[in-house]
Order: sequence, then C-alpha cells, then structure tokens
Amino acid sequence: MELAKKQTATQSQKLMIFVLTMALYGLATLFTELIPKFQVGAVEFSVEYFLFIPLTLAMLFDPLSAALGAATGELVFSEIMLGQFGGLGELEKFLTVTIGVYIAGRMVKNPKNRKMVGIAAITGTGLQLLMGTVVDILKVQLAVEDIEAVAGLPESVCATEGLAFLNDLLFSGILFCLLPTLFLVPKLYGKIEPLLGMRPRDEKTGLGGINGKVVIGAVAAFAAAAGAELLASSGTPLIEWEAEWAESGKALALGIVVAAAVVVVALVVLKELAVRRNRMEQ
Amino acid sequence: MQTKTKKKLSENILDKFSIDFLRNQVLKNAYGNDDTVIAALDPRILLVWYLFLGLVPWFVNNLWFLMGCFLLVLVTTILARVAGLVLLLFGVGVFTQTGYLLVVSLFFGGNASTVVPLLILTLKVAVCSLASVTVFSGLDPDRLSNGLMWYGCPERLSFSISYAYRVLPMLMEEFQNILLSYRMRGNPPEHESFRGKVKYLIYQVRIVMHAFYPLMLNTAKRSRTTVEALEIKGYRYAAVNKSVKKMKLSTLKVTYNDLLFLAVSFLWIALSILASTLF
Repeated sequence: MELAKKQTATQSQKLMIFVLTMALYGLATLFTELIPKFQVGAVEFSVEYFLFIPLTLAMLFDPLSAALGAATGELVFSEIMLGQFGGLGELEKFLTVTIGVYIAGRMVKNPKNRKMVGIAAITGTGLQLLMGTVVDILKVQLAVEDIEAVAGLPESVCATEGLAFLNDLLFSGILFCLLPTLFLVPKLYGKIEPLLGMRPRDEKTGLGGINGKVVIGAVAAFAAAAGAELLASSGTPLIEWEAEWAESGKALALGIVVAAAVVVVALVVLKELAVRRNRMEQ
Repeated sequence: MQTKTKKKLSENILDKFSIDFLRNQVLKNAYGNDDTVIAALDPRILLVWYLFLGLVPWFVNNLWFLMGCFLLVLVTTILARVAGLVLLLFGVGVFTQTGYLLVVSLFFGGNASTVVPLLILTLKVAVCSLASVTVFSGLDPDRLSNGLMWYGCPERLSFSISYAYRVLPMLMEEFQNILLSYRMRGNPPEHESFRGKVKYLIYQVRIVMHAFYPLMLNTAKRSRTTVEALEIKGYRYAAVNKSVKKMKLSTLKVTYNDLLFLAVSFLWIALSILASTLF
C-alpha cells in the first residue's frame, strides 16, 4: 500500500515512461525538423512544438522521467540522427525542455481538472519558450564581436526574438500545445496507466504542487543552460590567445606544420611496414 | 498549359516528400553507408576530432582559419556520403540561423560592414554542423553509442541511441497506418476556395493530433514490453556493471588509419593557422 500512497513509480516503470516519452516525442520532433517552415516577414509559421506529447505524459505519469525522456528523445532523434548535433549548445534546449515539462507536470494534481491542465500546459510551454528567448538574445549579443559597430544589430535581434516568442506562444503554444493537451489528457486518463501497470494519478496519489525546492532546482538548471549556451558561443579568452600568435607566431605555426607533416609521413611509413609484415606472415 | 505543369511539379515534390521517403532517408542515413572511409574509423578518434572542430571555431575569429576548417569538414562530409535530405536540412538551417540576421540588420540601417562579421558567424555555424553531420551520420549508431560509452556517457544515452534507430521505422510505419485509417474513414472538407483551404489545413492538423491518441496507447504497450524484456536480461544491473561494459567495448580498436586521419586533419589545420599568420 506504500506505493498507492505516493505516486512514486518503481524503477522499471520509470524506465517505461522514459522510453515511451522518448520514442513519441522523438518521432514528433523528427517531423517538425523535416516539415518546411513558412516565413512571413519576421513572423514564422511553423509546426514547431509537438510539446503536447511530453506535457500530456508528464501530467499523467511521473513528471521527471517524462521530462528527461522528452529531452533525450529530441536530442537523439532530431539532433544526432539527422546529424544536427550542436555540441554544448544542445544542453540549453535539453535543460529548458526538461524544466518546462517537469514544472507543467508537477502543477497538475488531478488530471480530471481541465482548468488546471490548461493552465499547466500553457505555463510549461511559455516557460520553455521564454528561457529560450532570453538565452538567444544573450547569445547573439555576445557571439558577434563588437556588436556596437554593427549598426542596428542589437535592436534587430531583440525585436526579432521578442516577436518570435510572442508568435510561438500564441500560434504554436495554443494550437499545438494547449488544445491537444486539453483533448488528450482527459481521454487518456485511466486508459494508458493500466498499460504500464500503474494507478491513475488523483488528488491523493499526486506528487504535491510546486514548492520552493522545485523552483530553486529549476532556476539552477536554467542558469546552467544559459551558461552552457553562452560558453558554446562566446569565448573571450581564446580570442586574445589567437591575437598573440597572429603577431609573433609565424615561426611557431611553421614549426607546427612541419611537425604535422613529419607525423603524417611517419604514419604512412609505419602503415606500409605493417601491411608488408602481414603479407610476409601470410 | 503552364498551370498544368506547375500543378504537376508541385505534385511531384509532394510525392517525393511522403513519409516513406522520409523513412528511407533516415534509414539510409543510419545504416546505408557503413562502407565509407569515415564509417571505418574508430568512434573514439572521431569524437575527439569532432570535439576539436565543434568547439574551437567558436573561439577563433580569423577568416583564414575558419575557411580552412570549413574545407576540411566539407571533404569529410563528402567522404561520409551523407544522405541528401540531411544536407538539405543543413543548408536551410545555416541560412535561417544567420542568413536572416543579415537581411534584418540591413533593414535596420546596417551596411556592407555587417557582412564580414556575419560571414564569420556563418562559417562558424557551418563548420560545427558539418563536423557533426560527418560524425553523427557517418557512423553506425551502434559504433557511435559504443564510442560515447567509452568516454563515460551515461548508459541511458547510448541505450537511447541504439533503441531510437531501431524503433523509429516501426513507429513511422504505425503512425502512417493510423493516419491512413483516419483518412479512409474521414470526410475532408472541399479545398477549392481559400476558405476551404484553411478549413482543410485545420482538418489535417486535427487528424494528426487525433492520430497521436492511438499511437500513445500502442507505444505505451510496446515500451512496457521493451522494458520487461530488458529486465529479464538484467539490463539495469548490467548497465552499471564494469565487466559488462568492458566486454561490450572490446571491439573498439585504434588502427593506423585512425591515427593517419587525425594527423592529416592536424596538418591541414596547422596549414590554415600558418595561412592566417601570413596574411
């Protein structure tokens, strides 16, 4: 009965939720990556967010597993499989998706309460989009060197990013996150849980609302996300280093070239020797 | 006459962009090119190579150096024989990431001096994405996940990669079947006039959303089966067990080819550094 009191899924059930969210959201993000986008001026009409899938699952199941599964699914299916992996910068998207979905999932105590489901869905989406926007603005401000020299760039970045945020929230947020979640959560409630061998979530078995710990965790994760993204695109220390060798390093660069050439030749010779030895042995 | 050919052309493009086409491209990308030079390399070496080319260009603003890097990754991408769709996505992605900025900043009163920093930014983005295209779509998924595991990435991630490649074709097929069955039973609105077209679009989007309902239930069942099968094999204990990991990774081997690949890349980078100091 211990299990029934708290909605703590067992380890293997958590893995099931992880796999389920990963596969579904991965498939959806793969489609969004492939569907062409229509752009009217700075306003973009795209089927950007299939975020309703992890949102729905996070409201019905353990939110953390669903959130992590969604982020991993996006990373693996749409970034690694299509070869669009952006290195450290992907950490930002990973963490913002996790935070958005997790918070939305924690907000819903009773999935039958439609109002709460709607509020949670739009809050989760809004949070995710807002974090992305803030990081994007910071990124471009720091990535383009001497940004002040480029006339009109700072204002244009803020304007386009702000517009994109509003557009995403109103267009994708309502159409592709709010409405499908409102449709799916009541419909799936009570039907999908038995398939994973679990009890449906209700007021008693819910994890409890959002408390200080969740907020602090989310803020820390967001700071990490912003830090990773900025680290991936700024790089002030190494620019100075580059300037150094640009002045005095002709000889050094030449030395490196010669060394590299020697290594290449040595490797070719070694390889030839190895091949010949193999042939001799045969 | 002209409208007819136009219609035909758009139909032709739509035909090509079916779910089957996408599935084939993804599969081809994953398994279709395991006989290339890049696929034969050791994943660990390739990951180190990627780490360099994925990070260092962000920190350097020299045009010559970036050009050199760009040519290098261009050659490796050609060697990896990446699927056409991925390259198309790469092109679109680079344009939407920095190309649009150029237009907007011109609109806000910039001039030709805007072009050089944006060209540098574009080259940075291009180098990083082509390097990742080379590594992540040139390699077999299993070799890739083995390589990641060797570097101590969580077992969850390498499991996800292997699982994703295997389950994706099935999921796509299932999704398509559900969509087709909805379409067979459904009654789409007329889409001759503009109003009708808007209605038709809304109808299509609704069908896609509705199709996720059975898909979610089916996938829930499937993921339970998967996890139970994994549990029977003792997956959760094996995932953290050191000797299991060692057995798994015993196939990885660094050969002269790998070292040669690294050395040639290094030589090329060194040459571009030399060029950047000379000019």
